[in-house]
Amino acid sequence: MEGKPATSPKSGPTARDDRAPWLTLKMREAMEAWLFISPTIAGFLIFFAGPLIAVIGYSLTEWNLLSQQVTYVGLANYRDALFANADFWHVARNSAIFALGLVPLNMMLALMLALGLSRRFPGVIIFRTVFFAPVVTSAAAWAIVWKFLLQGEAGFVNQMLAGIGIAGPNWLRDPDWAMVAVILTRVIKMVGLNMILYIAALQAIPRDYEAAARLEGASDWQIFRAITWPLLGPTTLVIMVITTIGSFKVFDHIYLMTGGGPENGTLVLAFYIYEQGFKFFNVGYASALAMIMFAIVMALTVVQLLLRRKDT
Amino acid sequence: MKGIRKVLTASVLAATLASPALAAELRFTIWTGNEAHLKMLNGYAESFRARRPDVTVKFETIPPADYTQKLTFQIAGGNPPDAGWLMEDAAPTFAKAGVLEDLAPALNAAKDYDFADFSKPALGLWVNGGKVIGVPFSTSPFVIFFNKDMFDKAGLEDPLVLAAKGQWTMATFQDVAKKLTAANGKPGFEFKDGQGYDSRIMHALMPPIRAYGGDVWADRKCGLDTPQAVASVRQLHDMVFKDKSIVAPGEKGDYFSGNSAMTINQISRASLMPKAGFKWGIAPLPTGPGGDSPVIGQAGIVVFAAGKQKPLAAEFVAHVTNKQNVAIAAQFFPPARNSVLASDAFINSNNLIPPAQMKIVGDAIARGKVLPAHEKSPQLLAAMKPRVDALWRADANVESALKAVCAAIQPLL
Amino acid sequence: MTSWLTPRQLRLLNRTCWMLALSIVAIPFVFPFLWMLSSGFKSAAEMFGSPSIVPREWQWQNFIEVFTYQPFARQYFNSLYISLTVTLLTLVIASLAGYALARLRFAGASLVGLFLVSALMVPEEVTIIPNFFLMKRFGFIDSHWPLILLPVFGPHGIVATFLMRQYFLALPKELEEAGRMDGLSRFGVWWRVALPMSRPALAAVAIITFLHSWNLFLEPLIFVSSLEKFTLPLALSNFTDPYGVPLWHLQLAATSLAVVPILIVYLIAQRQIIESFALSGVKG
Repeated sequence: MEGKPATSPKSGPTARDDRAPWLTLKMREAMEAWLFISPTIAGFLIFFAGPLIAVIGYSLTEWNLLSQQVTYVGLANYRDALFANADFWHVARNSAIFALGLVPLNMMLALMLALGLSRRFPGVIIFRTVFFAPVVTSAAAWAIVWKFLLQGEAGFVNQMLAGIGIAGPNWLRDPDWAMVAVILTRVIKMVGLNMILYIAALQAIPRDYEAAARLEGASDWQIFRAITWPLLGPTTLVIMVITTIGSFKVFDHIYLMTGGGPENGTLVLAFYIYEQGFKFFNVGYASALAMIMFAIVMALTVVQLLLRRKDT
Repeated sequence: MKGIRKVLTASVLAATLASPALAAELRFTIWTGNEAHLKMLNGYAESFRARRPDVTVKFETIPPADYTQKLTFQIAGGNPPDAGWLMEDAAPTFAKAGVLEDLAPALNAAKDYDFADFSKPALGLWVNGGKVIGVPFSTSPFVIFFNKDMFDKAGLEDPLVLAAKGQWTMATFQDVAKKLTAANGKPGFEFKDGQGYDSRIMHALMPPIRAYGGDVWADRKCGLDTPQAVASVRQLHDMVFKDKSIVAPGEKGDYFSGNSAMTINQISRASLMPKAGFKWGIAPLPTGPGGDSPVIGQAGIVVFAAGKQKPLAAEFVAHVTNKQNVAIAAQFFPPARNSVLASDAFINSNNLIPPAQMKIVGDAIARGKVLPAHEKSPQLLAAMKPRVDALWRADANVESALKAVCAAIQPLL
Repeated sequence: MTSWLTPRQLRLLNRTCWMLALSIVAIPFVFPFLWMLSSGFKSAAEMFGSPSIVPREWQWQNFIEVFTYQPFARQYFNSLYISLTVTLLTLVIASLAGYALARLRFAGASLVGLFLVSALMVPEEVTIIPNFFLMKRFGFIDSHWPLILLPVFGPHGIVATFLMRQYFLALPKELEEAGRMDGLSRFGVWWRVALPMSRPALAAVAIITFLHSWNLFLEPLIFVSSLEKFTLPLALSNFTDPYGVPLWHLQLAATSLAVVPILIVYLIAQRQIIESFALSGVKG
């Protein structure tokens, strides 16, 4: 603003309103912003920040959910989990296996489907719709149906396998196959989401690059390796972060398909926390586990973000 | 004007003074949604109004699978019911946590209640020192259900006949099951509710182990690795994997739809039989080297210490478990009161089961032992389950598997 | 080997191979739905007999039994009204907050943004226990309040906020500034100018929020214990006999009832729905 008027300006950040001369526009704007954002902030504090701090407190106690007796035990819960109790490492291993199985499988399948479905051809919409359908289905419904299909000899999947001469395992009753079953069914459920993210990214790649490459006689594979894949880098990273974190959060799928079994073969961290807190009533221990889960997820996120920083 | 106002004030005053002392509502949790059960329960509420006209009772159904858990959520969440059913495996845990109210004062104060009428063994879980933490309302022995048509097809005498001859033993059981499987093309036996490998591990292992003279645990010591227990489980294991006469893990062989010849269950299941379409009967459990050892499953009624209307709730519980009401319940829930067990009414109460077979039920209640319970039941079961899963594999070594189970649960006992 | 095919034929062969491969891969995506539907029409006994996709007898009464077995209609309604409420509240709160973050300059904006983002990375299981006690303090246990409050204010609500922010950032400012000049308050600008222009984003938020709330499982499991207050995901796994054994014919019939309406809506609006999810994934 040029010049300095004698009275307070009527526009700009330092303008003052006639009705409330003591408020600058800037202050007004800030107040309005806070007003707009207050429900979100209030909710954030009450339902997220507060509980997060509370969990730290709970994790330092031994607290029985049923009798409501609380005793302070310091870091005993953490010591228990990390050093004394073999169960925790078993659970951590399961979670790691689940993530390591799910994330690459999901991402590769998503990429392949996206590559096949990113161009228009008759029927592409149908395929996209089909692959995305499980995403909108409730996890409960999906788990129930698959649990039914994966029954032992009489289950549909094994009957089909028998039809082509393979004796299918008792999927949900063998600890190793149960993990496989849980991973595969979860991948089928969620891959559609990553597929469309990849499709969006693929469609954002200018077609001239590919056209130019083809003119020079490049094969599909060369084009993919030199052009497509590098340009998908950022998307791949985002997808990797989301999918990895997501794999740690999975609860309903495991609860309904295997309940953590058999032989605790699919007992993952999310389920373990639920089990300790709400089935065995060990609120303190469960809170310590929750903090550990938090730490793991944070660490994974930071690592993956650092990788991104390194790339760009 | 003034006159009308006087009349109005007077009538309002009168109305306030004349209104009943306190209209109260009791919340009572149950796990059944069955119409007939609800009708009976509401009948109790009605008859309670004769004594307490201003009290209504609301029965709230929580599904059985997560009943104990959801009940815990209610209590822990500050929303406890006043009274409710409680499963036997939760009774010790809840008692230890101090969430159950002592019913002794209310039961002693109830007119004509006659607490001594309850069968002593049946009260095992529910009486602690001088305290009564609950009253059993269903004391249901385990019996063998058998498909008579399948026995006939295999040319075998049915278990009732064998029992009468004193020949219904675990060895005969194995033999019979094998023959039945061969003759009918369907497994000879299915574990309780088809859940012998999942939620009913104890129900699957208990009866045979007890028949052999062992026990799952006793006096805080694991009994699964004793020779008797190992022998009994080995028999079961052979039946599942060698004889293939017991429905294997993950397979289907529902007795009630005619897909297996025998099963073990409680008589409340008899209500499923009319739809089954085959001739059937019930028989006592096979005896074993350890003798004759009936097994009883139970459920009780409790009042919650966190509730707001404890005396009233306790009074209602006393009402529901008095002699007349227990007799009414006998058609669904085997009673724990000796007087009712001995009555003709009970023997004839179940129109699906002939009196002779009902006698088995009464006999088992009088002599049987309840399933073992422990205050750490959920943890015990959770610790057992993975090791028991390992047991139920074709190539498992029964003895070492059972030792592993004991190793897992001993620290908790 | 392929030299005797013209490039056109080669592309056709390529295309056909792809389509075949895709169709095979698509089988486990489609079959569960077909099987779920057909099993809903079978009797309990036929469930595990010889599998055929067409039921031997069409047991229509399964679908009626589903409603008498537990208060299924009520539970359906619960899921419906809760999801609608959550969607509405989220739309309002997220668009308010998103607008503030996008348009309004105020001290601490970036800090707020940072805090909110941190909430995205924390799984629900971490905060569920304290939330349980919090709800207990409010007396909300065994009510629907936690099922409404937690999604609206939790990580999902924050995703919605950032979605709206992203969209608002991309809107041209001129119309809003014109509105300000006309004397509209900030709220007025938001309500009359910005919101109407952000229909696509609002639709996207509405869709993903509705589905998120519809499919919630952990929260209802923990916060709701009485049958009539159940939501659909809880109710579905509850078709067991009094002893805990699943009644598959009922479970699958009920699952069909729960899934089919969503599928129908999905098939009609799939482009919109898929785009909504794509939008939500492209957040920074």
